[in-house]
Parts: sequence; structure tokens; C-alpha cells
Amino acid sequence: MQPRLEAEGVALFALSYDAVAVLRSFADKHDITFPLLSDEGSHVIRRLGLINERVQEDHAAYGIKPDPRHTNLPYPGVFVLDESGVIVGKRFHESYRERDTGAALLAQTLSILEPRPGSTPSAPGHPIQVSAWLDSPTYSFFQRTHLNVELHMAPSFRVFAPPAPGSTVPLTVHVSEIPGVEIGAVQWPAAQPSRVPGLDDLVPVHSGTIRGLVPLTFAAPPGGGDLTVELTVRYQGCSDSERLPPFSVGLRLRIKELAMVDRTLPSRQVA
Amino acid sequence: MSLPPRDFSTIGPREGTRFPDIRLPDQSGATVDLHSARRHRKALVVFYRSADW
Repeated sequence: MQPRLEAEGVALFALSYDAVAVLRSFADKHDITFPLLSDEGSHVIRRLGLINERVQEDHAAYGIKPDPRHTNLPYPGVFVLDESGVIVGKRFHESYRERDTGAALLAQTLSILEPRPGSTPSAPGHPIQVSAWLDSPTYSFFQRTHLNVELHMAPSFRVFAPPAPGSTVPLTVHVSEIPGVEIGAVQWPAAQPSRVPGLDDLVPVHSGTIRGLVPLTFAAPPGGGDLTVELTVRYQGCSDSERLPPFSVGLRLRIKELAMVDRTLPSRQVA
Repeated sequence: MSLPPRDFSTIGPREGTRFPDIRLPDQSGATVDLHSARRHRKALVVFYRSADW
């Protein structure tokens, strides 16, 4: 991830309670050139209020054996800073076993849009174009990534947003069940009230280009292999003069399983 | 068996505030002042468990 961050002008820092010598050998082994900060004694972690006081309870809850190294750990997570050093994003987790991908963090909080692995557009020529892609072309055990669904509407075209009036079909995304994958609720930007042909009241609509995010958490044990994410986007569009018939777009995206080299998991779980 | 969820918006420095000044040694032993080292760039500051286990 780091070369892309540098290309985008984003500095990367990682902080743990490890001693300098530990970080040096880790950096050498993995060719890490960005700063791995050594907070031996967890003084900074404590000053920032990030000590995970309940980590042993958490680990017990997640079935991880008690370990003296679990004291003075931080909550796992990321702060996103803007050019002036102000925190513009913050993504922390209860446990070390559920994390957002770096790509998802970047896309969401810095508006740095990824190239779109697996982007699949809908029928050409239609005034409303639908495409979908995954933040990451790969997944690994207990990783979270996002399915992105984008609608691009020609000028003056809109789609109905929920809760749409009974006579119209609101925008929905249905993701087919995938064993071992938790599919979260889609998040769309706020809809705008608008006047549409044939309806007296203002109704919520989307216009322009909008993007919905569907969180996907890969909770199946390692070895699940490559997966296919199948989704159906259903919507009804309208222009200033006419209402279009409801429309469904089916899309299929492949996601590859990443070999387990994840150091943040207990070693006994690494196959 | 799950513990009540924590509200991470109130844990640690808040969104909208300047990230605190921190000075710590990096893997080479050189002291890094985070805000100086950013050189007016955006930054990600990752807190993680350990590089050792």
C-alpha cells in the first residue's frame, strides 16, 4: 500500500509498543521504509487514551488465551490526518480480528479513489449507468472490505430513494448470500427531496453521481478460496418530463483469497 | 458471548482536533516528530498490536 500512499502524497506512520531493535528487524525482514514508531512502555498510547484496558476480556471473549503481552496494548486502528494535522477520519476496532482494509480507509476518508478492480458497467446508452467494484481485489480471514456501487445519472435524470412512494421503486442493492461472508447494510449519501412527473408531493431522489458502500466481512476460516460477489441493483429513474420503468442490473465480481501472512492473528490460527 | 460495544468516537483524540504532538524513535533509532515528518502532507497513523508476535 505504501508506494500508492506516497504517490498520493500521504505520509504513513505505524506505532506499537515494540522496542527499536524489534522494529528494526521487522522492517528489515519486510522491507518497510516508512516510520515504525517505538512507544516502549506504551507512554504515548496511554497519553492518547488508547490503552485497551479490556483486552484480556476481549481475548477471552474471542477465545484467545491470556498472555502477559496483552497488557498496555492500544486499540487497533487508524487516524487519518489532513495537511494541517487535523484528524479527519478515525477507524478503530474492538478486536484485532476485524479490520478495514487500508484501501477502504483511503477511499472513504481521504477521497482518494482507487482504480476500480472488477468494475462492471451496465448497458451503454442508458441515462443511468451502474457500476460496482470491490475496494480490494483480495480478501483474507476476518478482513473487512467494501463493495462500491456507483450510479451515474445523465443531467436532469434522478432515481427514487427509499422511502419512495408506493407507485415507484426505490433504489436497492441486493447481494446474494455468500457462505462465511457477513454482508452489511448499504450506505448511500442523503437523498434530496425533489418534484417528479406525475406526483404531487416532494419525493426523495438521488441525482448526479452517487456511491453506495456495502461492508463485507470475511468471517469464514482460511482456505475458502476465491469467491464471487453477485449483486442486483434495482432502481427507477425519471427525468423532468417522464418516469422510466423500473430497472434491474445484475453484476458479478470476483475476489481472490489472499494467502495467510497476517501477523496480527494468533499464530495457531495461521494455517 | 460478546462484550458491549465501545464508542470509539470518544476513545482517543477526537475527529476535528489536531492530532497530538508525538516524538518517538523509529526503527533506525532516530527520533521522529510526527507533525514535522509529515511535511504538510496528509497522513495515516496506524496503531497496531506488535511487530513481535
